[in-house]
Formats: sequence, C-alpha cells, structure tokens
Amino acid sequence: MISRIADYSSPLVTVLISTYNRPLYLPQALKSILAQTYRHLQIILVRDGGEPVRSVIEPYLADPRLTFIDRRENWGLPRSFNQALEQARGKYICYLGDDDLFYPHHVRTLVEALEGQNEYEAAYTDLYKVHCRIEPDGKRTALAKNIEISRDYDRTSLLQFSHILHVSLMHTRKILERTGPYNENVHVLIDYDLIRRMAFFTDFKHIPTVTGEFYAAIEQDQDKCSRISNRKRKDRTSYILNLLGIYSSRPPKPWTKLQDTSLTLLAEMVDENLLIALEQIWSHTFFPYRIYLPLPEAQLRQLKTIVPNILGVPVRPGAGAQERLDAVLRCCDGEYIAIVPSTWRIRYNEVAWIEKSLYALMHCADPKQAFDLIGSCPERWAAVFRRQQLMAARRLHKDKPLLESIQAAGISLRSPHQQEWPFQFENMTTSGQMLEKQGMWAEAARLFEMAQQRYGNDLWMMTRRANDLYHAGRFMEAAEFAAQVNSIRPSPATLLIEARARRNSRGDREAIGLLKRAEMILEGSELTYAG
Amino acid sequence: MQDREQEQPAQITDGVDTPTGQIWPEEITRTPIPDLGWTQYYDIVKELADCYAGVGDFPSALHYYDKAATLGPDEPGPYVGMGVVALQQDRLDEAETAFRVACRLDPNCSKGYCGRAMVAEQQNDWPQAFEFYLKSLELNSDDLTALLGLFQMSCRIGSFEKVIYYLEVYLDMHPGDTSVMFCLATLWLREGRLEPARRRLKELLLLEPNHADAAHLLEEVENKLVHPVCQET
Repeated sequence: MISRIADYSSPLVTVLISTYNRPLYLPQALKSILAQTYRHLQIILVRDGGEPVRSVIEPYLADPRLTFIDRRENWGLPRSFNQALEQARGKYICYLGDDDLFYPHHVRTLVEALEGQNEYEAAYTDLYKVHCRIEPDGKRTALAKNIEISRDYDRTSLLQFSHILHVSLMHTRKILERTGPYNENVHVLIDYDLIRRMAFFTDFKHIPTVTGEFYAAIEQDQDKCSRISNRKRKDRTSYILNLLGIYSSRPPKPWTKLQDTSLTLLAEMVDENLLIALEQIWSHTFFPYRIYLPLPEAQLRQLKTIVPNILGVPVRPGAGAQERLDAVLRCCDGEYIAIVPSTWRIRYNEVAWIEKSLYALMHCADPKQAFDLIGSCPERWAAVFRRQQLMAARRLHKDKPLLESIQAAGISLRSPHQQEWPFQFENMTTSGQMLEKQGMWAEAARLFEMAQQRYGNDLWMMTRRANDLYHAGRFMEAAEFAAQVNSIRPSPATLLIEARARRNSRGDREAIGLLKRAEMILEGSELTYAG
Repeated sequence: MQDREQEQPAQITDGVDTPTGQIWPEEITRTPIPDLGWTQYYDIVKELADCYAGVGDFPSALHYYDKAATLGPDEPGPYVGMGVVALQQDRLDEAETAFRVACRLDPNCSKGYCGRAMVAEQQNDWPQAFEFYLKSLELNSDDLTALLGLFQMSCRIGSFEKVIYYLEVYLDMHPGDTSVMFCLATLWLREGRLEPARRRLKELLLLEPNHADAAHLLEEVENKLVHPVCQET
C-alpha cells in the first residue's frame, strides 16, 4: 500500500499553509509537510503580509512541489486560503497552521481513508493539543500532549459545534464547487464555517489516529501567544455575531445530507413581539432553516431587521391562520415545516428549542407522527411536521381549521420524549464528567461504558473508563482498558493511566516502560508510533 | 436589540464554545481527567522518578526528580522525592534541605514535614521529630508514615495523648487497619485503659486470628482485668 501511495500516479494532494508573523515556527511546519511519507504533493505557502519569511524558508524553496506566494499585504486567512485554492490542482486538499505540524503519516492516513470509496468526501484524524510554555526566546516547551477531541462524526453535533479540527481535515477539491470557498466575511472559526457547509453534502470519516500537533500556550503565557483566533474570541459580541452568521449560512441546494426546515412565523402585524421572536430564532437555531413570514404586503414593507433568511409571503389583509399557512405551503421548499406564533418565547438557556422536536421527527419511522415544540400549549401552539404530510392534510381538508385538518388526516401530535432529543451522547458524557467531579468514579465508568455501547467513540470512552476505574481503586480493570487503548493508540494520558494502575497492582518495574514511552511522545521522539 | 445581544452570549452556546474545543472551568485544568490540563509532562516524569525510587535505582530517580522540579517549579513533590532518596542513602543534610524546600513551596505539604521528622528522628532529636510528625498529621491525618512515626516518638518521650487522638482519627478512616489497631491497644494498655484495649484487640483478632502479638497482648490485658491488684504492684 505504501509503495502504491508513494507512486506519483497516486492522486495529487494540495497542502495549504498561510503564514503571518510566525517566522520562528514556520520552518518546522514546512519541514513536517516535506517529510510526509506520501510524496505526491502540491504545497502552497502564502505569506499573508507580516514579517518576511523568505530567509527562513530558503532551504525548502528548491523543492519543486512548493509554490510560495509572497504577499506584503495582510488579507486575512479566508482570503489567503481562497487565493491559494485558486491555484490548487490536487484531488484532495488539506491544511496546516504555520505553527503546527504534521506527523509523517498524516497525508497518507487521510488519502488511504478517502481513496477507493464513494461514501465520504472528507475525512479527519486526531491531533495532539500541545500545551506549551513560551520561553523568553520564543521557543516552546511542551507541558502536555492531549487528545482533547476524538469524536466520531456526528452530523447533528457538527451543526451546533465542531468536533473536527482544521489541521486534521482532508477533503476533495470537488466539494468546494458545492460549498463555495472560504467565507471572507467570517472573521473567526473560518474552518468551522467551511466544514459546516461541507456537512450539507457529505459525511466525514473519522480516523482515530494521531497524525499531528497543534499548539496552545498555557494560561500565564497567553499574552505571548500570537494565535489570532484567541484574540478575536475575546470580543464576545463580535464572536457571537460571527457564529450566528455561520449558523445562518445556507449553501445552494440540492443538499444531499441535510434537510431544510421552513419555519412559518405566524404574526398579526410587524410589532415588537415579532421582532423579538425573529431575533430569538436567529440566536437559538442551529439546524438549517428559512423563516417564512405570511403578512400583508404593507406590513412586510415595514419590517426592518438584520435577521437573515427571512422570506416574506404576501397575504390579503385580514387573512386567518389557515389561509396564511396555506400561502406558505404553496411556496416553501423545506422537507419540514414548523409553525410558530410570534408570541413564542425561547427560554434563556435553551439550546435546542426547535431541534428537539425536529430531531425526533427526522428519526421517527411513523409517517403519521408530528411533534409539538417543547412548551407548546393551546394558547401558544407550535409544532413541526413533514411538509408532505401537512400539505396532504391541508389539501384534503382545506375547509377545516388547521388543527381539525391535521386530526382528520390522521396525523398524531405529541411532545418528543427526552430520549428522542438530540445530543444523547453529549448528555451522557457531561453526566459522566459531573460524576467524576463528585468523586463517583465507579458510576462514571459505568456511564462511559454505556455511552460506548450506544454511541461508539471507543477509544475516547475506554480512556475515560480506564481513568475512572483507576480512581475507583479497580486497578486491574483500569490497567486492562488502558492497555487496550495503548495497543491501538498510545498517548501520554493513556500510558500514564496504565502505568499508575500497574504500579498499584504489580509494582514499579512494569510502570517504568510505559512512562518512558509517554516521555518519548512528549519529547517528540516517537512521532511515527501510530504509522 | 443591543442590550439583548449582550445578554445572550451564554445562552447561545450553553457553555460549549467552539469549534476548536470546549471551554473548561479553570479548576478542571488540575483535575485527574486524562487529556485535559497542562501538568501531564510533570506528572509523568514525577511518576517515573517515584518508580525508579521504588525499585532502588536512585541515580535515575534523582535525574527524574530534577526534571520534574524544572517542569513544575512550584510543585513540592519532586523535593519530597529527593529528600526520601537522600534519607535512604543516609545523606541527612541533603534530605533536610530538600524537605525544607518542599515545605517552603507548599506550607501545607504534610509529606515535607513528615520527611523533616524522619531526618530529626535519624539525628535522635526526638522532641523535634515528634513536633514535625504532629505538624504532618495536622495537615493530613491520613498519613500512615507520620502516624507510625508519631507513635514511635511518643513511646520514646512518653507522651501519648496526642498520638492516641490521631490513631483514633486514622482508625475512623481505615477501620480495618490492624497495625494501627495494635498500636492503639498497646497505648491504651500503657495508659491503664484496659477495657478499650481488650475490645480493640478482640476486633483485631477477628480480622487477623493469627496475629500472635495481639493474642499475647490480649492475654496480658485479660490477666490484668482478672487480677487488678497485680496491676498496682
């Protein structure tokens, strides 16, 4: 396999790297690309303004695979990547931060995952987050190498927050034709924005192998850290608006992996109630949606809001709820329809106000089932339906009031049960963490075992289990689980857990070998252990 | 609109920040959760040093304690380790210095005080050793080394009140520890408290029927209970 991949007849991979004011770390990053065991690469390095770097990369410029765009102006990361993408010729694209590094098997691991299959257009690995102390000369001393994220792909979770790191990602170049390039209006989380748009068209294959490192200064050294995203995140309002912009992003249809929701907001007029409802929907919804607003034209003309994705549906003055809904049904294109009154209020700490019911509906096998939103009541009724289901009900019983037509069509309505909500895995792991904090280690271990049985994420869950069993004093079991993880993907954390458990069960000698290996990983002298 | 936006940040993400990770409360950076926090290298090196010390490879142990001290300059652990190694090699001055550093870095370092007590004990300075063992137990009443050290010093200087208190505290936490039960029974016998001594020894023999010293002591206690006059003579 290795020899085939090393062959130049294998697909070309473009590696993009944009640099800004990090001449100290750039050579190491660049060297790690050139040291890839997968040789068929096009490397595009963009100097996005800042300090000149030509002198530090001089030794590498002779490599014909490297294209250097030496620009004096600072355009920002999205525009820089877009400039590089215009020159990209690879079948696959991957990225490296100018202060991060790939292990030698990074590209090969991802190409092997993507080649010869049609299911995935993107894949990702795991990375060590290296907590480091910044020395006075700017050099970094690693204090920990943690696998903080090792999450199997979950489409719903990705819509709300990313579990895919930019540097760990490889995708086809072709998918950009559907997602579009990097959004140059997004200032932070530019990778999440693109990855989220990709999720509309492909699932992501997770390879739980560590193939690189990204760096984070420890708290007291944060000021010395030049990571731009850290600085931008400090402006909370701007950060939130940026995030909402990402949530509101809707690539062109047809979407192959996600379904759309047409959210019908029923209002009597443009008033404060409506404006509050619009803002709340915008700030709380992460599933893709478009708001349909059936109102008389004169009212629609009065609407002034920054909330995106609103489509005004003109209706005659004095039109009732049924008539307005029917008007929406004639023009909307979402697979799901939500009906929400403008008096609806979303609880302050609610994170999935509509998604709980939508998720239940999407995963419900009964075609006659629809769901009320949590908190819906006769005075303030809100619900989600399959569009076809609701259209059929209205078509067959158009003279009946809305609820009667729904009943007459045999559609059953209820609130979703808690076990039908999204984020079951996240809830279990959060509960496990709470038990750990309370020192209830054995109970936490049981919970992580259950989470693994139901939702996979094997290495992650086994690591938590091993750690919890160790703290519960069940050393033999802890050592056994940690050893299982270490036989597949040894990391400093799991080697430490196994060593501590072995010390308590069999003595110090056995622990020494494990700890020496953990030390080697931390010192970077075991880079290819998982290759 | 502006006011509402400023109120909203927490609700939108419900504590989960990111795309590139999660925001963890500060205390979690020092919790025993794997793959979080930044003390991992220190933890590994310190653990390695302890292992080498455990198997008697003192040069390697000292090498790694030194490294741990560099990685965690505020941590007392490596100095306690250096002190223990020095103590085992009869280098009492070095041990004393190391334990002092540990106590300076962390005034609540019970092991540091326990180490200083052991140094004082080796120097036959029993009152000083008694004081340090006591300080160590005040900071951590669960430290068996300090407890047994205090017991020995109590026997040497003939003062039992404080050690009885700490032995009882320890037994509340570790009710099945027969070595501590035996110490306590011995002290009660010396204090003339025969009934509690007998009760404790019987409990001990239930847990460890072949404990010969306990059986002999029980015989002595029961004999004294039957012949109280002998006790006076």
